[in-house]
Amino acid sequence: MTSAPGCLPPGSGWTGRLRWLTVASLLAGLTACGGGGRSELEAVPQAADRWSWVLPSGFSIPKEPETNPMSAAKVELGRHLFYDRRLSGNGSQSCASCHLQHKAFTDGLALAQGSTGQFHRRGAQPLANVAYNATLTWANPSLVTLEKQMEVPLFGDDPVEMGVNDSNQAQVLARIAGDPAYPDRFALAFPGQSDSVSWAHVIQSIAAFQRSLISGNSRYDQYTRGQAQLSASEERGLRLFFGNKAECFHCHGSFNFNDQVVHASSRFVETPFHNTGLYNLGDRGDFPALNQGLFEFTAQATDRGLFRAQTLRNIEVTAPYMHDGSLATLEEVVDFYAAGGRQISSGPLAGDGRKHPNKSDQIAPIDLDAQEKADLVAFLKTLTDHEFLVNPKFADPFSPP
Amino acid sequence: MKKSHAWPGAGVTAVALSSLLVACGGGEDGPQAVEIQFAAVAAEQPIACNSTVRLGRDNVEATLKDLRFYISNAALLRADGSEVPITLAGNDNWNLTVGQDRVTLIDLENATGACPSATGTAATQAVLKGRVPAGSYTGVRMTLGVPFALNHSLWSDPASAKPPLDIQAMSWSWQGGRKFAKIEVTQPAGASPAWSAPTFNFHLGSTGCQGNPVTGTQVSHCNAPNRMDFTLPAFDPATQQVGVDLRALLAAADITVNAGGALGCMSGGTDPECQLLFDAIGVDWKADGSGTGLPVNGGAGQVLFRAISK
Repeated sequence: MTSAPGCLPPGSGWTGRLRWLTVASLLAGLTACGGGGRSELEAVPQAADRWSWVLPSGFSIPKEPETNPMSAAKVELGRHLFYDRRLSGNGSQSCASCHLQHKAFTDGLALAQGSTGQFHRRGAQPLANVAYNATLTWANPSLVTLEKQMEVPLFGDDPVEMGVNDSNQAQVLARIAGDPAYPDRFALAFPGQSDSVSWAHVIQSIAAFQRSLISGNSRYDQYTRGQAQLSASEERGLRLFFGNKAECFHCHGSFNFNDQVVHASSRFVETPFHNTGLYNLGDRGDFPALNQGLFEFTAQATDRGLFRAQTLRNIEVTAPYMHDGSLATLEEVVDFYAAGGRQISSGPLAGDGRKHPNKSDQIAPIDLDAQEKADLVAFLKTLTDHEFLVNPKFADPFSPP
Repeated sequence: MKKSHAWPGAGVTAVALSSLLVACGGGEDGPQAVEIQFAAVAAEQPIACNSTVRLGRDNVEATLKDLRFYISNAALLRADGSEVPITLAGNDNWNLTVGQDRVTLIDLENATGACPSATGTAATQAVLKGRVPAGSYTGVRMTLGVPFALNHSLWSDPASAKPPLDIQAMSWSWQGGRKFAKIEVTQPAGASPAWSAPTFNFHLGSTGCQGNPVTGTQVSHCNAPNRMDFTLPAFDPATQQVGVDLRALLAAADITVNAGGALGCMSGGTDPECQLLFDAIGVDWKADGSGTGLPVNGGAGQVLFRAISK
């Protein structure tokens, strides 16, 4: 077997040194050049505290919407709102109820459950580095900003997540405005705006907080910076991952270990979706009802079962896996890809996913022995950024440790 | 299939009434007020949140659960067929004009009875009000839907989420836009036998929408716009109203079951119930996903809207 790396991750810097990038000045330039078309918003004064991106080596500057530039005050307000249960219709759930920091902002469940008890058809998304996602959620080409995406959990009714609706939205906002701790935070984050406690500002500040969730200090990152060693097994796993045998890098090869990335300097962004052979109901090409991925948007048969490749950063703590949590462990995931898809032999989901007509060309049987599978899993576990999972900047402000 | 839905004696009436319209107007060229009333019906029978009517392929008892829709770019028609846009009175909770785009939310539910108080609104709006230049008019033409330029508004940007585009229940977040129509019927309390799917929904909206991650443009294109055009060639707002006929809309559908996809039809590109409903609104939809989402023959075959007496 050959294990020569076929493709190394951009900026992986095998012998690279620590290079933290502070880009406040660049950012200021960017926002000032904002390119016309929104003159009515240019007059809006922003928080005095400029935001300084502090980024790991190899990370590009995240894209900020012209209408929602980052500021420290906004991020801090957003952190409070993210963890505030009062933001759901019945006051039972916050964003953090399904996005737990110690699980890289997933919830450990196969399917997420909303504030009224209704189950989602898919699992909660990890949020590390979500600022770089070109499209949001598991398969939705129409959601390209966190601000727009947030309308789904806040206001969606199929399924109900946060459960904010026409009859309670004023009341929910009043709960926030009525907490004496909040008006000052809003005023700081949105200076000079009379109606500062608004849904627009709730959404904008939570989006800013989400953009601040940068994770790039895993042992793998430290290794690429020459600061840490990987074990022999982990290094073998790394070479399999980026090599021509396992070829994981085709869909998980960016600095963020996925293949849909947008950043401040992006001129063109690809938004590929993939069928990995997870299902093939009755060998008819179906995925389970209402969970057919990109197909639900395009209605094209060739899009049946296509989903967005998820980031593999912190993948160790985001089980269970796949959009519907149908693979419980990383070992199962590696077995799944080694088999070139999944055959389900009985029951309502029976069918041979390996033979799905839309299956990605990249998904083919891989001849991996037990040691190689263990090596891949060992490598995947080096992508856990333990600092990120406990970073107080991202933690619940209402229950300090 | 029912092709014609004009009321008896329509042609004669229209001529007589159009002269009446002129009489009501101001000066020769000054604007005249137009008020177009909408009414929910099942054939001839009025329906509301509290009422039970017979609907669907099997004519089963059903109750209204929701009935709201956006009307855009309404125009009166002259006898020669030319269109004269209706200028909306002004922006308020129900009306929005931006440039050439004019949209009105028609809301025929009042959050009582089977219409949920959580997602409904007590306020209703059954009339489209505006002005046209004084003249003689014979009919109306309008679009069920929100114009593209206004459809993909951003809730976090107060400049774009203006009323009536700020109703949560009408948001179509999964496609980055608005529901053009939210029409829902449900089984009456104690229905026997109980429906196997308790509510039949018809949510109309654009599908196959794509955003542009580089520019952050919410939606730059939708494969199936699904805006419904319709014309009532002989219509007099003084004595007539636009009937929203749910019996006609649902005439071919078994509303007690869900044959697949979303409950009822939520404009899904391959949802088996959508064929019947899109046929009823005169919009091109095909089971293999190749439908254009454009009106067929200008919406001439639609049966949802028709002129009825006030």
